Amino acid sequence: MEHLRELAENLHLMLSFAKRDIRAKYKQTLFGVAWAVMQPLTLMVVFTFVFSMFARIPSDGLPYPIFSYSVLIFWICFASCISQGTVAMTANANLVRKIYFPRETLLLAVMVSALVDLAIAAVILAGMYAYYGIGISWTALWVVPLLALQLLIVLTVILFTSAVQVYFRDVGHALPLLMQVWMFATPIAYPLSSVPAWLRPYYMLNPMVGIIDGYRNALLHGTAPNLRYLGAAFAVTFVLLVAAYFNFKRAERTFADVI
Amino acid sequence: MSEFAIRFDHVSKSYQLRRGVGQMLARLANRVPADKRNIFWALDDVNFVIEPGETVGLIGPNGAGKSTILKILARVTVPTKGSYRVKGQVGALIEVGAGFHHDLSGRENVYLNGAIMGMRKREIDAKFDQIVAFSEVEKFLDTPLKYYSTGMMVRLGFAVAAHINPDILLVDEVLAVGDTAFQAKCLNKIAELKEQQKTIVLVSHTMPSILQHSSRVLWIDHGTVQGFGDPDETVEGYLRTIHTHGASADALDQRETTDSPIHVTSVTVRNVRGEVHECLNYGEPANIDIEYAVTRPVDDPVVSVTFHDARDFPLGGLTSRLDGLRLNGAQGSGKVRLTLSPVLFTRGSYGVTVAILDNRIQRYLDMRPRAVTFMVDGPSVASREISGHFVFPHRWEAVQHAPGGTEQAIAP
Repeated sequence: MEHLRELAENLHLMLSFAKRDIRAKYKQTLFGVAWAVMQPLTLMVVFTFVFSMFARIPSDGLPYPIFSYSVLIFWICFASCISQGTVAMTANANLVRKIYFPRETLLLAVMVSALVDLAIAAVILAGMYAYYGIGISWTALWVVPLLALQLLIVLTVILFTSAVQVYFRDVGHALPLLMQVWMFATPIAYPLSSVPAWLRPYYMLNPMVGIIDGYRNALLHGTAPNLRYLGAAFAVTFVLLVAAYFNFKRAERTFADVI
Repeated sequence: MSEFAIRFDHVSKSYQLRRGVGQMLARLANRVPADKRNIFWALDDVNFVIEPGETVGLIGPNGAGKSTILKILARVTVPTKGSYRVKGQVGALIEVGAGFHHDLSGRENVYLNGAIMGMRKREIDAKFDQIVAFSEVEKFLDTPLKYYSTGMMVRLGFAVAAHINPDILLVDEVLAVGDTAFQAKCLNKIAELKEQQKTIVLVSHTMPSILQHSSRVLWIDHGTVQGFGDPDETVEGYLRTIHTHGASADALDQRETTDSPIHVTSVTVRNVRGEVHECLNYGEPANIDIEYAVTRPVDDPVVSVTFHDARDFPLGGLTSRLDGLRLNGAQGSGKVRLTLSPVLFTRGSYGVTVAILDNRIQRYLDMRPRAVTFMVDGPSVASREISGHFVFPHRWEAVQHAPGGTEQAIAP
């Protein structure tokens, strides 16, 4: 509770960090914020060629570009939160060594900055709706709780990984690799329906499966997510988040000694 | 119980020297690491109380534990054992500009750094003009920080830090930044904070600035408190420990220059009564006797004497050539005497480096760094009536413009 009060008092600091991250990212670039859409757009084009045109992967009867782009933007938000959140302490070692502030503000700032990129990338998605003449249903609103769940999962993960990264830099090395594997273990480039039935029980252990599939259903198929699944996911994530937060606050006290 | 601003009760802090997966697992399993050699105690049972409104100078050699104390006060780390209490908000002037981002402009960095130091946006808005004026970088406010000179960056950092308004301010060796004019500004800021009854903890290796600003001095060595009290006495006690030779150095070791034709064999400091003494009095004459031995004839050798402050910073020196003294460089041994008439050093500790050079004063034939050290008792910079290491011969008088246009001294 004490921690949360202190965090609330430092929300303005978190926003300052977020502003710093966003501004610094696009300073001295020619294309500026356009880079926020370059990554999902490029992946979409590559996926369209490789998976749709060469490998003929089904896309639930939807045009493949929108089929993949609609979830790619959320995945990229997820991946950049995790990769930047994990190194947030070590990247700001100068500050952590010298000045006290609730360290989790650095993690939240990473998330805010990734959300801004997501919002920019979403503009292109709106354009694709218009281009393909696909109507948007009210179920699109389910994106909000799904995104909330995604953010809670992200926070849980980076509260843990960023603390471990302070002690063992191995985490930072392993992560890009892991994120790549994770992306292909999530139904982004292919539909969930193409996963063989025998593999499903294991496949579903990946928490991002339900979320990514949920986005696609809500945005393109007009169907709501499985409420029981969503509720359970929230409950489990919340418990893990609390544990990760306590662990983080305990470890935080000696970050300056080892970073 | 008396009032306090900062209170350390049996505070100890240890660091693990080596880390590895093994140690990590042992700790996770809640086993105390058995290997004691792997532990370094940066602070060992430290107790002290700092009262509100005091300015305390924190001194000690490198690695003594000063930074660890500051880190604990700044809350970036916690003690391993013991407890501490701090009353009021702590602001740290530790390595100014630690939170700067080089791609952002000066303006953006003021806001960012202010936020990191605990200021709200409204507070920064209100003080923005003051901060900018203090930093003297108005013209470059919208330039990315990476194009700033080091001096500009440091000034901007100090300007932000100087405008936070904490109850307790930690100042770590920042008085050595910027040019003289900017230093004066910083000192004024510190004086202003003192007048506002802020508690200040000042870390510096520069004893004069410690003496000038502190009401008490805390001396730390090997993680323990060696002394806490009167600035002059405590600083003196500390300087005494970093003496290695004392007033006389005989049979100086002969490494390196064994093949040299001439050697310094002893250096001795004598007071006005001719006694070998490590403490000299300001205003009284003193001698530095240098004995040397010649193994091969040397043409017109020159002796040089250089004085250093307690941190080995050279203050000034002179050679025997300056006064036209000719040394016996033919054979055997000799002795020269440098008389200080009188000693004009201010209170403190000084080192003497003695060297013998060739006749063109270019090549060192022998060199004895810090051959002797001595203390001086006399006017102290703590009085703020003097500064630096010397009081040179001088006279003050009030001069008035007489009606006839000529200047006239007023008889005392």
